Amino acid sequence: MLEVKDLAVSHKKKIAIKNLNFKVDDGKILGFIGADGAGKSSALNAIAGVIKFDGEIIYNDFIYKSPKEAENIKLNIGYMPQGIGLVLYKTLTIKEHLDFFADIRDIKINKEFLEYKNHLLSMAGLEKFLDRRAGDLSGGMMQKLSLVCTMLHRPKLLILDEPTTGVDPLSRIELWEILEQSAKEFNTISIISTAYMGEASKMDDILLFDEGEIIARGNSEQLINEIKPFVYEKTTTDKKHITISDSTYCLENLEIQHQKPTLESLFFVNALKKDRLLPKLQIAKSKESIDKNIVVMKATKITKKFGDFYANRNVDCELKSGEILGLLGANGAGKTTFIKMLLGLLPLDGGELELFDKKIKDSDDRNGLKSQIGYVSQHFALYDDMTVRENMMFFASIHKIDTKKSVQLIDSYSKELGFEKYLDEMPKSLPLGINQRFSLAVSILHEPKVLFLDEPTSGVDAIARAQFWELLKELKNNRGISILITTHYMSEAEFCDRVVLLKDGEKIADDKVENFYKKFPNAKSFEEIFLEYYK
Amino acid sequence: MKIFITILLKELISFFRSFGLVILVIYFFTAEVYVAANGMEIEAKNVAVGVVDKSAGGMSKKILSNLHSPEFQTPKFYKSQKELSDAIYNKNIMVGMIFDEQFEKDYYKKLNPTINILIDSTTASQSLMAIGYIQNILMKFNNLELPVALKMHKLFNQNADTGLFMGVSELLSVITLLTTILTAIAFVKEKESGTWDIMLLMPVNPKIIILAKSLSQIIIIMIGVVLSVGLILFQSLDVPINGNLLHFFILTFFYVATTAGIGLFIAAVSKNIMQISQLSIVIMMPIIFLSGAWTPIYAMHPLLQYLSALSPLSYYIEGCESIFFRGTSFVDLLPYFGGVLILGVILYWYGFRKIGKLF
Repeated sequence: MLEVKDLAVSHKKKIAIKNLNFKVDDGKILGFIGADGAGKSSALNAIAGVIKFDGEIIYNDFIYKSPKEAENIKLNIGYMPQGIGLVLYKTLTIKEHLDFFADIRDIKINKEFLEYKNHLLSMAGLEKFLDRRAGDLSGGMMQKLSLVCTMLHRPKLLILDEPTTGVDPLSRIELWEILEQSAKEFNTISIISTAYMGEASKMDDILLFDEGEIIARGNSEQLINEIKPFVYEKTTTDKKHITISDSTYCLENLEIQHQKPTLESLFFVNALKKDRLLPKLQIAKSKESIDKNIVVMKATKITKKFGDFYANRNVDCELKSGEILGLLGANGAGKTTFIKMLLGLLPLDGGELELFDKKIKDSDDRNGLKSQIGYVSQHFALYDDMTVRENMMFFASIHKIDTKKSVQLIDSYSKELGFEKYLDEMPKSLPLGINQRFSLAVSILHEPKVLFLDEPTSGVDAIARAQFWELLKELKNNRGISILITTHYMSEAEFCDRVVLLKDGEKIADDKVENFYKKFPNAKSFEEIFLEYYK
Repeated sequence: MKIFITILLKELISFFRSFGLVILVIYFFTAEVYVAANGMEIEAKNVAVGVVDKSAGGMSKKILSNLHSPEFQTPKFYKSQKELSDAIYNKNIMVGMIFDEQFEKDYYKKLNPTINILIDSTTASQSLMAIGYIQNILMKFNNLELPVALKMHKLFNQNADTGLFMGVSELLSVITLLTTILTAIAFVKEKESGTWDIMLLMPVNPKIIILAKSLSQIIIIMIGVVLSVGLILFQSLDVPINGNLLHFFILTFFYVATTAGIGLFIAAVSKNIMQISQLSIVIMMPIIFLSGAWTPIYAMHPLLQYLSALSPLSYYIEGCESIFFRGTSFVDLLPYFGGVLILGVILYWYGFRKIGKLF
């Protein structure tokens, strides 16, 4: 049994997590759900005894209050940090990994161990690839191998920090199968954090994290039932409420039809309870008429090779004007490489590219097009040592927008996108959601006709994500901007007009969103639909 | 032009906001130069001497009385040659002198008396210097009547003060090192954070971005050079200036611009700050070796002498020494300007192609 009492972690002066109290029994899976920066990793690190913390942790009668005291129970702990393949060595094979981890854990190699090892390997489906190097494995296989290595010394307490983030849906299901099986078979306590709400149903108990605090606790059914009375179909009201996508959240009774809540709804209800109303975000309509029916981007058989490895192989893709095209795929599926080739940041190794009906042969062809393209890169690349306002002034000036107009633009965008009060702060100190919207504002300063967005929603909390998608819709409708966006959240497909699914650098699906549901009428979610393609 | 200035200002702002980097640059231009000028000693100083004296002792005492500070410590006496060599082996003394039984007799009879000298030449230059001193001392006792007298005129650095020379050449090394690293960091920091991609996609000629970014780092270095020359070289070290100071600053500007090109080259081939530090060492070492900063170029292997034409530092050092110590006129400096400039243009051309381009 594991018990955590009054756990608190702070980094320098910033409080990462406070007043964390919980108990888990053997054989149970406890889930930590919440956005980046909500305190999940800090809590996990503290329990694993790798960072300093306040409060106390009790594992089967053994009490520890510091990393030093935790040394004594480390034999019982299996810890897997955040990030794909972080515990692996790229140049070692799977077999060498197992030998290495057995050696450093000082495990006796006897018949019992070999049986256990083979059992783990067959659970992970890795027994056929023993001679393959870790660097040549897909993200999903890497995570499975990491998990096997973490479990090699039969830990009784498994601490896994976002083991499934960025992994393809099929591997995610397989990872969960291993976890559920090991919890049952070996009676381990598993504490697992995740960014995917869909995984909540697999957990026995869930702690919902928000800004360093626990805002809800229970299993997924309990959690959803709790908020049922507050979720309505989309409507307008004078009472305090939040309306986003197709739902309205209100703490008071509205005389309309209730809607079935999802786990995401928990965050909105919590925001309402804390009186954090969402600012209305909108984009002013542009005066110019919108010309539909042009092909903004057309890629034919685009290929990119790194050595022997195909990052993209014969990918066809078309973006029409006024369309939101979602490029979906797991980490390493080739999404970023594809966007980079479209932008000219990487050379093509094969295939043809047309932008605005113009064949792109070399960089000279792009010169006239630069002012029509907006780009938000992964992790919102902006200058860390300049304030938000300075950043915007800088980019406006690069776009040859005169100073008076820049000031106006900054003023209007910061109000429309709701980051007005952060204008004079450094980007690093801001919540990820604010950074995301401010990067979007920077990318549309020059009124481009097409936007390329590389994983803009990764790691951002549920509320900010929903708001961001609303904004994209506004951009499409009011500005006529075509949008190409990549994401590893399969569930975000529903916000797109059309979806292209990439797997290992190849396109495995490409269709309008409504057609996917027609093809798979029994599917409950996009996760399930895309799973069919992965199989 | 407006864009050029915007980028330039942005770079300067971000430099002055990174506290650590500012401190580092100030340190290198002041303390580092000062310490190099005063702390590095090539001359023999405070050398420990051990003596085994088997002679009657009159003559040897006379000779030993000439070994005094600041060059030598008071000699220590040992009983046997074995003890003496052990002392050298254990680094207790650096020079051992052995006067044998015959020494004094032979001296008065003029029968070629010998003193055996053992020396620890781990630090080669200091031990050679020490031997030189001892030979000079013994010359006095040789009673030779040479018809030739030497009259020395030391040019350019009258007191043969190594501090002056070391100070100037350390400043030149600091300039080389900092320019390369600052420029490379300025570019790779953007590569790492992804802003470089965004800059390339801006409707601006990437050459302008590259030139503006390089110029910002050149300005930072030039400010450092002015501070260092004024405060450290002239104020603290009293370095003479026989040529025109303006020529020095112009030559420095061109040299810094060229070195920024090396930084650009490094930035073009590295992905992160870690790779910069590795590559800088690999690239800077030959540049400094071949420049003549440590050994005069004419003393190198003929092949290396040709290669030294590729080191921009070699032109710069020659030029600077000419300005500070020799007072060379502008026309005679032109080859140095030319050498620095040609290398600079080649490096920028490579940088433009390699990191300043879309596909």
